Amino acid sequence: MGNQKIEPGEPVIRFALLDDVLNLARANSLWPMTFGLACCAIEMMAAGASRFDLDRFGAGVFRPSPRQSDLMIVAGTISKKMGPAIQMLWDQMPNPKWCIAMGNCAISGGPFEYDGQYAIIPGADLLVPVDIYIPGCPPRPEGLIQGFLALEDKITKGEDRNILRRFHRKGGKS
Amino acid sequence: MRSMADQFREPIVERVYTLNLGPQHPSTHGVLRVLLDLDGEFIVKADPVIGYGHRGHEKMGENRTYKQFLPNASRMDYLSGLLYNHGFVLAVEKFAGIEVPERAKYIRTVCAELNRISSHLLWFGTYVMDLGGFTPFLYAFDDREHILDILDRVSGSRLTYSYCRFGGVCQDVDAQFVDTTRSFLKRFRSRYHDYDNLVTKNVIFIHRTRGVGVITVDQARQFGVTGPNLRACGIPYDMRKIEPYEIYDRFDFEIPIGTKGDALDRYRVRLEEMEQSCRIIEQALDRMPGGPFWNEAATFKVRPPKGEIYFGFESARGQTGYYLVSDGTPYPYRCHIRVPSYGNLHVLTEVLRGTMMADAISILGSIDVVIPEIDR
Amino acid sequence: MANKDVMIEKLRSMLGDDAVCVDDKYGAGVVSAATAPAAKLVEALGVFKDTGFYLETMTALDFQDTQEIVYHLNCFEPMSRMSLRVLVGHGVSVPTASGVFTAADWLEREVREFYGIQFEGHPDPRNLLLPEDADYHPLKKDFGKVHAYRTRDEIYG
Repeated sequence: MGNQKIEPGEPVIRFALLDDVLNLARANSLWPMTFGLACCAIEMMAAGASRFDLDRFGAGVFRPSPRQSDLMIVAGTISKKMGPAIQMLWDQMPNPKWCIAMGNCAISGGPFEYDGQYAIIPGADLLVPVDIYIPGCPPRPEGLIQGFLALEDKITKGEDRNILRRFHRKGGKS
Repeated sequence: MRSMADQFREPIVERVYTLNLGPQHPSTHGVLRVLLDLDGEFIVKADPVIGYGHRGHEKMGENRTYKQFLPNASRMDYLSGLLYNHGFVLAVEKFAGIEVPERAKYIRTVCAELNRISSHLLWFGTYVMDLGGFTPFLYAFDDREHILDILDRVSGSRLTYSYCRFGGVCQDVDAQFVDTTRSFLKRFRSRYHDYDNLVTKNVIFIHRTRGVGVITVDQARQFGVTGPNLRACGIPYDMRKIEPYEIYDRFDFEIPIGTKGDALDRYRVRLEEMEQSCRIIEQALDRMPGGPFWNEAATFKVRPPKGEIYFGFESARGQTGYYLVSDGTPYPYRCHIRVPSYGNLHVLTEVLRGTMMADAISILGSIDVVIPEIDR
Repeated sequence: MANKDVMIEKLRSMLGDDAVCVDDKYGAGVVSAATAPAAKLVEALGVFKDTGFYLETMTALDFQDTQEIVYHLNCFEPMSRMSLRVLVGHGVSVPTASGVFTAADWLEREVREFYGIQFEGHPDPRNLLLPEDADYHPLKKDFGKVHAYRTRDEIYG
């Protein structure tokens, strides 16, 4: 079989073209979990509503149950009481799953992080592995959509191989 | 002689089943957890567990100057963020004796009432969505986006505002603001009829809200319920009329009240309040004077005298109060915020008893709570 | 006669004239501020309830020499807010008001978890906002980052 070392978590058998097709399908049908904690939840709802429609990206189906979703958008401040719940919800989500940290509070504690704060967890990446960070307080719905597009490009592995849609980050290549 | 069936029938045992609603749930408005004891479909006991959004606002208030606390104010109740911002600014202005130019007062009133309409619109959309109707949510958010466009252009943010500053507002409004607001009012009034026809006269909606979740006046007094929930019981208690602040005593508007205190009355009161807010905005736009918009020099060092103040105002959810204790320094000694959703949620421990599970969702939606303001 | 005038009369007769100061100009947002000893607290709150008042909010203040609990009560008439203050020392407990106003149930839970003031006879003294196992009292002035820790006279003297 050969001496190729398999890293844990990596698939043993790879189908190059099928993987690409599967990733394309996963990227264009991300089902987020309704997980609004604070103010950013309202901008998430506005992004799913009529003007900034998330349905056109395939991501408008917000599932309440973590077992049926593959994207957790942590929108809002994480308090210490909520931390175990986030851990449990992340563990309940089936693979493949992704996480977006939306808003300054989920990135690093936001406006509530100061040198005497006793009540919050400063950042979602202390609990779950975050894929995309969307700054803002709260970020505009267009910002959330930009985060979605960045995640889709990350899933389909890179901007230069994505021939259906090119996402140009300022200063980035391609 | 016992029949055959009797031998297989189990003795009836009373079983009360504990169901956990939340903290992650599509219908809880924020992170609310309710421990329900159910007997079949009927709720025997409802125990809300809160604190999942506690961010320590009151401790931050003691470690921040009055100016630095401004962003915190609108993040407590983010749906009526400008109303909270306005209220905090008014409280400190009264405490420290800061003068406000007339134009700023009118601008602040217009923006505050626009914020009240946007908060009620969001409540309307999410309430009907909780009951199962998805379309009004999209209509309401569309209207809300128009309000947010107006406020965004003049203040820079869509949701959490620090537009009102001590001594006025931080930026002036121009003729385009007035024109866009007037055209929004015209559009909104025509959409109002759509909402009436889509929802208010809808038989399913009426069946799900009439007679559901009745709050009596005595319960309201016991729990400290204020706002549209209290007005639906028949008491015309609105801080804009009871303790007029800013320039609300110059405008002609009514306080809509209900009769029975059920969910349908609460819905009707809020819908009618949106129309009254439109009246206030129109009158304020007609009478807005020219002149300065910010008394900036007076706010260089906001240092209220030693003592305390309690300032109560009407936010979209009810009566809110800022209780500030000052020791003469720019930092408050105590900054306590009285939030209306506290009493509004607490009354559910009595109101939910004896109702059915599906009605519980309708009641939870109709009282319009925002959990991060309870958790502060 | 307005509710608030009836209430001021009753408070004066119960607590004495110098424990009640009236401010008709509503400068501090209250029409009268009354100080009550802890023993008469529940009785005073009962009088408020019978006159038609509701408990608006309740909070506490932490000073170096004492702690103070402030109740704000209001009724459905214009300009009628009144405050009732109780001085408690550090570590002293206060009778519960949840028998009079049900709103005090949650308000006292919050004051207990943030200030450590115990309420005797409270039916359910769990934590309200902090995690269930939290045993610290955040709003006390010896917890965490504190800007100033003063005595009561420095502010109200």
